[in-house]
Amino acid sequence: MENGTAQKRKITDYIGGDKLILLGAIAVVFILFTALNKNYFTMTNFINLLVAMSLVGLVSVGHTYLIIAGQNDLSPGSLAAFSGVLAALLLSKGMPIVPAILITLAGGFVVGEFNAWMVNQIKLEAFIATLVTQNIVRGFAYIMCGGKPISIANKAYLAIGKLRLIGIPVSVWLMILAYVIFGFILARTKFGRSVYAIGGSKEAARLAGLNPNRIIRRSFVLIGMLTALGGIVFSSRMNSGQPAANVNLEFDAITGVILGGVSFAGGVGDMFGTVLGVFLIQAFNTGLIMVNVSTFWQYVARGALLLFALTSDYIRKQRREKELLEASMKNLG
Amino acid sequence: MSSVLEFKHISKYFPGVKALDDISFQAYGGEVLAFLGENGAGKSTLLKTLNGDYQPTSGEYLLDGEQKHFRSPHEAIQEGISVIYQERQILLELSVAENIYLGRMPANGFGVIDTRKANQMAQQIINDFGLPIRPTTKVKDLSIAYQQMVEIMKAYSRDNLRVICFDEPTASLSDAEIDSLFSVIEKLRAEGKIVLYVSHRMAEIRRIADKVAIFKDGRYVATVRTEDVTDEELVRMMVGRDLGDIFSSLDRNKQIGDVLLEVKDVSSDFVRPVSFTLHRGEILGFSGLVGAGRTELMRAIIGADRMKSGEVLLEGKPIRSRSPYEAMKNGIVLVPEDRKLQGILSNLSVSGNINISMLDRNANALGVISEKKEAAVAAHGIDEFRIKTPSPEKKIVELSGGNQQKCIVARWIATEPKVLILDEPTKGIDVGAKSEFYAMICEFAKQGLGVILISSELPEVIGLSDRIIVMRDRAVSGEVMREDATEDKLLSLGMMGED
Repeated sequence: MENGTAQKRKITDYIGGDKLILLGAIAVVFILFTALNKNYFTMTNFINLLVAMSLVGLVSVGHTYLIIAGQNDLSPGSLAAFSGVLAALLLSKGMPIVPAILITLAGGFVVGEFNAWMVNQIKLEAFIATLVTQNIVRGFAYIMCGGKPISIANKAYLAIGKLRLIGIPVSVWLMILAYVIFGFILARTKFGRSVYAIGGSKEAARLAGLNPNRIIRRSFVLIGMLTALGGIVFSSRMNSGQPAANVNLEFDAITGVILGGVSFAGGVGDMFGTVLGVFLIQAFNTGLIMVNVSTFWQYVARGALLLFALTSDYIRKQRREKELLEASMKNLG
Repeated sequence: MSSVLEFKHISKYFPGVKALDDISFQAYGGEVLAFLGENGAGKSTLLKTLNGDYQPTSGEYLLDGEQKHFRSPHEAIQEGISVIYQERQILLELSVAENIYLGRMPANGFGVIDTRKANQMAQQIINDFGLPIRPTTKVKDLSIAYQQMVEIMKAYSRDNLRVICFDEPTASLSDAEIDSLFSVIEKLRAEGKIVLYVSHRMAEIRRIADKVAIFKDGRYVATVRTEDVTDEELVRMMVGRDLGDIFSSLDRNKQIGDVLLEVKDVSSDFVRPVSFTLHRGEILGFSGLVGAGRTELMRAIIGADRMKSGEVLLEGKPIRSRSPYEAMKNGIVLVPEDRKLQGILSNLSVSGNINISMLDRNANALGVISEKKEAAVAAHGIDEFRIKTPSPEKKIVELSGGNQQKCIVARWIATEPKVLILDEPTKGIDVGAKSEFYAMICEFAKQGLGVILISSELPEVIGLSDRIIVMRDRAVSGEVMREDATEDKLLSLGMMGED
């Protein structure tokens, strides 16, 4: 390592090699789909892509925290739909917009607390615990509206989905804001550092004076509230609360997070990687739609993409272990 | 012609550890070769790289001149190399014969297993070994010693068995059982097998081994004929130093202050009520067997386990620590025994590890961590404890075990504790780093800290402590002052309690 300063600085010193690969993959996706449909590479489509990404983007912020902390969450798809239905229901009963939104966000809070309670107190694996929630919450989404979408008439509420600032829709701004704020919190604050620490070793972190249960709880509440927010924006865009919406939302979010370099083993990754990973997926999904790939094949493609993400996670892990061993060999002689 | 097993330049690295360092020697058929060395000298690791449980980082094995490389223990067994571990590797619900012929039960032309034939074949081996067991008995109904015999017979039943290794085989056997094990080993030797035998017990090695291969800190020292050396010579080769010198040259704290910590009838689900006091500047040793409740007592004191009864007074004032965090706020900190799982945060850097308990102090009101403060804390710790790392940003797992442990100590000293609890602080650390730790511990006492030292190494606990509390069966069994402490006394208190 002594000659490190003497070497010429490479671009990988500023941006990790994994992220360069992601950027490369995004470029390949853009070139490929533009070749198949020249409307793909346009400003309009780019904005549409970001709008489509906004919900999964908000959820992926939460997944980044949870997966780094060694947890996971399968309930966002149901919760987003539930939140849209709940907001639409409250508005249809004549409730003003602000309390309706606050109550919906509180719903996300409660679901997060419930997930954390199952994980911390009943010691359930997060995968199983949140599978429980996925079903219960989806069920309530249907029950609340009797199975039929509830249309929304509130003008102010509908504006959320339509409003643009500097030509960019509010939903996209919310996603960008969430990425920036929570990216900063993850990288630079006590809470962020604690998330990494408990993902490395929960018991060691506890003995070092951290409170793993509290960190896990806050992470679940974070993803719950971000998902509820995403559900609100989505229902505004759709002009209705739809109980059957957002199936597989978590699937795309988790795939993006893992593609972005967060390890399923916990403790590793960052928010910028998630941004790239989720963008890659959205670019891919949008492309499939634009070149008229059937919905059925889109399922297959998504599955293949997650398999690819997991494989690259495995390869990265092997490589980390190998680098570690080599570094040890160098340090120990 | 007797067979030869040749170890050629075997090295094995783990992250942070060079477990085997260029090991070369030979073992011959018809001989029992004992592996002797301290904990962590590399004996068991060497066996595991031999039988494919681990892959050597470099080097090779030659069996009768033929190069051998196994990707799994299963492959090694098929090539006639078996290791009998401390933990039994057999299926308790199956019969003796089924275990011996597991995966290769005799079968008829239709692939149907011929149990009767298996039992006959097993009975033959049992007779050869002269054991009073039946092939049809379920293994779970056998004693530990006979279960081990079944494993040996399983290895023996392969016609091509050439190398058989025993890893601490007598750890849980009675004297009579050891006798019968040894007669089996003698039989294997007489048949020209290469027998490798890992043990700590000098008396056993004298009895069964023709030669002794000595290991120290992952290196091969020498092979000697057992009859040519005295026990003292063996110990010197294996330890390579005189511990007495290290301890007598320590600059100990002479001024022990007033009472710092009073522990009154503290108990948890894992330890019975215990009381003791600790003075400022005192090193209080805790001795006893593994499982005597020493770790559990400390965990209750720092709130890692729930305290069921009792109270803790620090500087005369009662304190409550319901979590390690609260204990740290009170000034009581613990360096845990299991460094890998409970000490280090393997995904964080050296700096991240040193700073993890300083998050409150390094962050502003909004929780944003000051990089400057972190860098200062890390630099101070690295400097004060002479942590050898290329940079504070290096991952902690790249460091040697001793340097990792120093990071954990630096982590706690940064929080300015009053009581420092060290649980087996030098476990798995090389000798050089050990003596650094001893000097460090004495320095802490001089600075007025109360130090609690849990150690299973008797010379260490005697050499460092001002006073030693011995625990047995989850309670205190005695207390010894430094002047009166001998290994015999601590051992008898640890095993039998006060007379």
